[in-house]
Amino acid sequence: MKKVTIDPITRLEGHGKIEIFLNDDGSVANTYFQIPELRGFEKFCEGRPVEEMPRIVPRICGV
Amino acid sequence: MAKLKLALYWAGACGGCDVAVLDVNEKILDVANLADIVFWPIALDFKYHHVEAMPDKSIDVCLFNGCIRSSEQEHIAKMLRAKSKVLVSFGSCACFGGIPALANLTTRAEIMERAYIEAPSNENPNKTLPQIKVSVPEGELTLPELFEDVLTLAQVVPVEYFVPGCPPTVDLILKVVNALATNSLPPVGAIIASEKSLCDECDRKKEKKMISKIYRTHEIIPDAERCLLEQGLLCMGAATRGGCGALCVKVNIPCRGCFGPPPGVKDQGAKLISSIASIYETKDEKDIARMVDEVADPAGTFYRFGMSDSMLKRKRVQGK
Amino acid sequence: MPLLKKMLAQFGVEDKRVRLDWVSASEGERFASIVNDMTEQVRALGPFSRTDGGKHG
Repeated sequence: MKKVTIDPITRLEGHGKIEIFLNDDGSVANTYFQIPELRGFEKFCEGRPVEEMPRIVPRICGV
Repeated sequence: MAKLKLALYWAGACGGCDVAVLDVNEKILDVANLADIVFWPIALDFKYHHVEAMPDKSIDVCLFNGCIRSSEQEHIAKMLRAKSKVLVSFGSCACFGGIPALANLTTRAEIMERAYIEAPSNENPNKTLPQIKVSVPEGELTLPELFEDVLTLAQVVPVEYFVPGCPPTVDLILKVVNALATNSLPPVGAIIASEKSLCDECDRKKEKKMISKIYRTHEIIPDAERCLLEQGLLCMGAATRGGCGALCVKVNIPCRGCFGPPPGVKDQGAKLISSIASIYETKDEKDIARMVDEVADPAGTFYRFGMSDSMLKRKRVQGK
Repeated sequence: MPLLKKMLAQFGVEDKRVRLDWVSASEGERFASIVNDMTEQVRALGPFSRTDGGKHG
């Protein structure tokens, strides 16, 4: 099956990759959207003082 | 002068550094006059294969922000290193690890577990975790490998310049742009900020400098004129490089060290512990113990931005 | 020291691996006994390794 890869996706915040699988007749069989990153805010904020959250979590997205 | 070829990339990043470049507002036109931007995912639609096709050293300057914590980020860092004459470690994440480096106080396994399985908003009954390779009916999908550790850019490829800050200030960015335009970059290896600590830039009155109690930032409203450290707030300015204009301190919040260690200091957190402990007014063991208790989160505060750049680098991963 | 130990604990460095003592050049016996104590303490804790395998886990 032919595969078209869009990597990276652009003009937005974040990293992403799109894989498009094509049938022989050129129609789309399936498309997958993947996020190739993880920083772990959900975990590493645990144990930090609560009053520091407004100084840590804005770094999830700077846009 | 022929236009410079400029590339900007974000690895383990938030987009703040890219937006900071856009914060130069109308001066972005000066940048556009000076350079052709050949790669900038936040703003332009060039793909990785475009970069792969570029000859080595054909990019004049690459501003690389974000930490390295996956095989893809490492791969692109190496690719951009090969294609660029000058590689700039841009922003605190690339220079020191940044906020994402706080993940070094936990483990990859714990992060995956929390993000994909435990988190209350998840709908993942099969406890599926991302895999490096997975077969789907149509073919195969791949994802990069997440590293156990968060690394700085310089820990992965050689770097010519460092621009610290979370994000680097507009002044600093314009300084870099100007240096490029006039071909007057400092000697290789330079950190483009101030050569002094933040205390030097800070306008506040410094008097007694000894403290008998440490406050968490929500416990008091500090006097806007006096040194924050003297008022018992943990201000990292004493062991942080200046150059930011003391922005945080100017709005009455203590510095959290995003410009990294000052010149001559190898480990920012160690220097901070030393600075703060040296201003404890008491020698009484009970008082000292109380004041140590009052420091809510030493590792996460003293290494807020600099975990990857520190000597310890991460929390011990103990075998199960 | 207490502040340093509190922070090191967050990094997984046990309290018994760090010690600060002041010993003068004339206190030979005391020096020897402190070093022996510390050696036994650390030996009992076992080797220290930062990670199980580095960046690839």
